[in-house]
Amino acid sequence: MFDLEQAIAEWRRQMLAAGIKSPVPLEELELHLREEIEQQMKAGLGEQEAFELAAQRTGRAAALKKEFKKIGRLDWEWLRKLKSILFGATEVPFPSLDDFAPSARQTLEIAPEEARRFHHDFIGTEHILLGIIKSQPQAIASLMQKLGVTSDAVRLEIEKFVGTSPAHAVAAKIPFTPRARQALQLAINEAKALNQPVVRAEHLFLGLLREGGGVAALVLKNLGVRIETTREEILREMRPDPGAG
Amino acid sequence: MIRKELVAASAEPLVLSLLAKGESYGYAIIQEVKARSEGKLNWTDGMLYPVLHRMEHRGLIKSRWGESETGRKRKYYSLKKDGKLAMQKHHEHWTLVHDVLSGLKKEKYV
Repeated sequence: MFDLEQAIAEWRRQMLAAGIKSPVPLEELELHLREEIEQQMKAGLGEQEAFELAAQRTGRAAALKKEFKKIGRLDWEWLRKLKSILFGATEVPFPSLDDFAPSARQTLEIAPEEARRFHHDFIGTEHILLGIIKSQPQAIASLMQKLGVTSDAVRLEIEKFVGTSPAHAVAAKIPFTPRARQALQLAINEAKALNQPVVRAEHLFLGLLREGGGVAALVLKNLGVRIETTREEILREMRPDPGAG
Repeated sequence: MIRKELVAASAEPLVLSLLAKGESYGYAIIQEVKARSEGKLNWTDGMLYPVLHRMEHRGLIKSRWGESETGRKRKYYSLKKDGKLAMQKHHEHWTLVHDVLSGLKKEKYV
């Protein structure tokens, strides 16, 4: 016995499998299918023939996908842009840490501990910044001194900014936020741009600053830290001592 | 058989001109184009929706959810101001092509 609703549900599954995912086009297509079925049945066809004819007319799943892709590309680009404005760059993959100095990797191990301290279920830019301060006290303290801020001021400002979540069990492995991943990628880019083969805590600091929209960047900006000055200071630090050469 | 490039190029002016008469929904738009072209402009039904979405995205038309007489949900599309301007441009261009073609045809046979 032919079941129309079941046939339509199966048709929907095929469409979904073909990649017509956004709820609106699929819903609209289904309504179209139902209109066509109704018309065919009015013209005297049985339910099953009406369905088969309508499904055929509405277009094969693969062909439809191609059509939707043409506009999809534009919409996706736009959506991605909107998403990155609203939530940070969501499409950023976790970068490879191959070029990270052992000390910088250690920083990334401390970051989740910092997140846990606030009962946060994610590792954000602020946790990385706290990790840097904790794991690289000397290098960063001297950089910050030149930039006119202290580690304590940064720590206080972050705590003021994010607040502690209510105590609850936090999973053993927590993810980096899109902004945090973006900051890691920017740290790698910064090291490359400065012609420095190894990514160190200073580059991470610069990456956080460059990311621009995360808590770390906001806190640092609030404290008057500027990207250009930071970059110059890091470069100066790296340059061979002019007196020695 | 009308070439698919021409079918594609004419979809937007036809949809705009149909909506200029008043709001309508996908199924009815397809049926009307089919009827008016005596079945010669037969869009694969599902192909219209991407065209509609693209036009909505560009701000030429807008949509709202409504209901059919039997209570079925329907998505109605209507013309926006930019759509009306776009329609006028399309008409200018298609008239131009038509005039040039018929002018040439006339010269040849007169």
